Amino acid sequence: MTAATFELRGLTAAVPGEKGAVRLVEEVSLSVRAGETLAVVGESGSGKTVTFTSALGLLPKPGRVIEGQALYNGTDLLSLAPEALRRVRGAQIGMVFQDPLTGLNPVFRVGDQIAEVLRAHLPIGRREARDRAVQLLGRVQIPDPARRVDDYPHQFSGGMRQRVLIAMAIALGPRVLIADEPTTALDVTVQAQVLDLLSELREEEGMAMVLITHDLGVVARQADRIAVMYSGRVVETGTVDEVFRAPRHPYTISLFRSIPDLDAPAGTMLAPIAGAPPDPQRRPAGCAFAPRCFAAREADGCMSSRPLLTDGAHAVACHRQGMLEQAA
Amino acid sequence: MSATVDDIEIREEAAQRRRAAIRRYAKHPGFVIGACGILVLLVVALLAPWLAPHSPTRTDLMNTLAPPSASHWLGTDQFGRDVLSRLIYGAQVSLQVGFFVVLISLSAGTILGAVAGYAGGWVERALVAAIDILLAFPSFLLALALVAARGNTLDSIIVAVAIAYTPRVAAVMRSVVLTIRPRPFIEASRAIGLSPWKIILRHIIPNALPPVIVVATVSAATAILAEAGLSFLGLGVQPPTPTWGNVIAEGQTSITTNPLISLSAGLCIAFTVIVLNLLGDGLRDTLDPQMRRNTGKLL
Repeated sequence: MTAATFELRGLTAAVPGEKGAVRLVEEVSLSVRAGETLAVVGESGSGKTVTFTSALGLLPKPGRVIEGQALYNGTDLLSLAPEALRRVRGAQIGMVFQDPLTGLNPVFRVGDQIAEVLRAHLPIGRREARDRAVQLLGRVQIPDPARRVDDYPHQFSGGMRQRVLIAMAIALGPRVLIADEPTTALDVTVQAQVLDLLSELREEEGMAMVLITHDLGVVARQADRIAVMYSGRVVETGTVDEVFRAPRHPYTISLFRSIPDLDAPAGTMLAPIAGAPPDPQRRPAGCAFAPRCFAAREADGCMSSRPLLTDGAHAVACHRQGMLEQAA
Repeated sequence: MSATVDDIEIREEAAQRRRAAIRRYAKHPGFVIGACGILVLLVVALLAPWLAPHSPTRTDLMNTLAPPSASHWLGTDQFGRDVLSRLIYGAQVSLQVGFFVVLISLSAGTILGAVAGYAGGWVERALVAAIDILLAFPSFLLALALVAARGNTLDSIIVAVAIAYTPRVAAVMRSVVLTIRPRPFIEASRAIGLSPWKIILRHIIPNALPPVIVVATVSAATAILAEAGLSFLGLGVQPPTPTWGNVIAEGQTSITTNPLISLSAGLCIAFTVIVLNLLGDGLRDTLDPQMRRNTGKLL
């Protein structure tokens, strides 16, 4: 097993609250290797985005990382000075955000915005930056890049804007690409194109890719490994095969039950997960999922102690894990 | 994917939007009147040597306080100088003051406000405190004190008035920046590793300019008014240089017999201020999407 390109170890980030620090993500450990796609799945507010923005020092104030490491090729990004971290962002680790419609500055031509990324990190002139911007637009399959390079963002459709943002993220040949729900704001047909483009680029460049999403269909198609997050913690992680075939955490199991299945007999009802995820200021004392869990039992400590993630390739954080396996 | 129908539609849409923008400006009576008025003032100021029928400073002691005539359309003042010529040359001073005060206070205020709004933390608190202290001080009084301290050359008047008006621009700028800072493209530019200065100069300021330009246009009017006020009090550009404030002050001595001297200079100031305000309102209406529905019906 090659060493991880990007690895989080026990990352905990918090914002100050009325009654002490509110932990947005707790003890998150994840890793992704070159050429691999890690899907991070969870519902809104589960801490998917915060995990990665805080790892890159992008968490808006007054939020901050209070514990843990974010290792890029063995260097802890969180120990770097702001200036050194800035040089890693964009150049070594690229990020694509959720909303392509507002992710570009409306008052500048797209070519200038791509050129800006290049010139922020490389000692190159205007002309060369522009030439490279045209090339990059071609790489993300924008038709007629030499002409479109001078267009403004409002002249691009949503899918094309997301392509431009991807071009900016890969402009400097980063080793890690973090895509935060890159297709949520796009039409379904365009979603597939953008995802295909991302996996093509990952293969060609041998990048490590983190795909943050709440769409399990996307995960099945694109990812090698998956990490399921719930209420700021990783509750289950493993290869996509393992987790899809034999989910072990009750939350993951419930997630799969809530997806429509074409092979199910007609009239089968979907099983939504009752209740809502806890407010990070008022997490239950035990397992954060216990109040919504079909398997939670007082006797196993579900209501009183926080379950820890087990070791191993297919890891799970659940007190009832042993019992569930016997039942299955 | 080739150039699709979609693609063509998007380009067509962009062209339409541009045409719509031009139409919006053309249809706004305030904007049109304001812009034409400024244009007239600019032409008058630039062509003063050719337009003025007489030298603005040549005295003619045989012909003082003359009533309007064919050679002196607005008469002469107590030194026999042609009032119309003095007003025409006075436009130069007023417009210079307006232009440079806006240039200085816009640049300084924009940067200060943007830094305050973007940096947050103690930098913001310190800058906001400084801005508030200056704002609490009546700006004309501040300009007056600065001129008194630094002398009354045109340069020092411009600097004094600019310092007095910078905090307004800075305050507006900061509040606009606060609305831009959380927008995704700012986060995106942090994620691509741009330095804070680059983000402020390239991404924050260009997006914050429309409301600040409106404030700047209106402060050009107040700056011109301030200069006229300083001149009137004898603290502005010193006679015999013609400024509208000087003409009013000098006309004061003969206001009962020859009211036209002060009155005409006052009208020049009023005209400039009104025209600049119309332009500012027009810009506000056309730049602010929420006001667009009402444009053309105002005034």
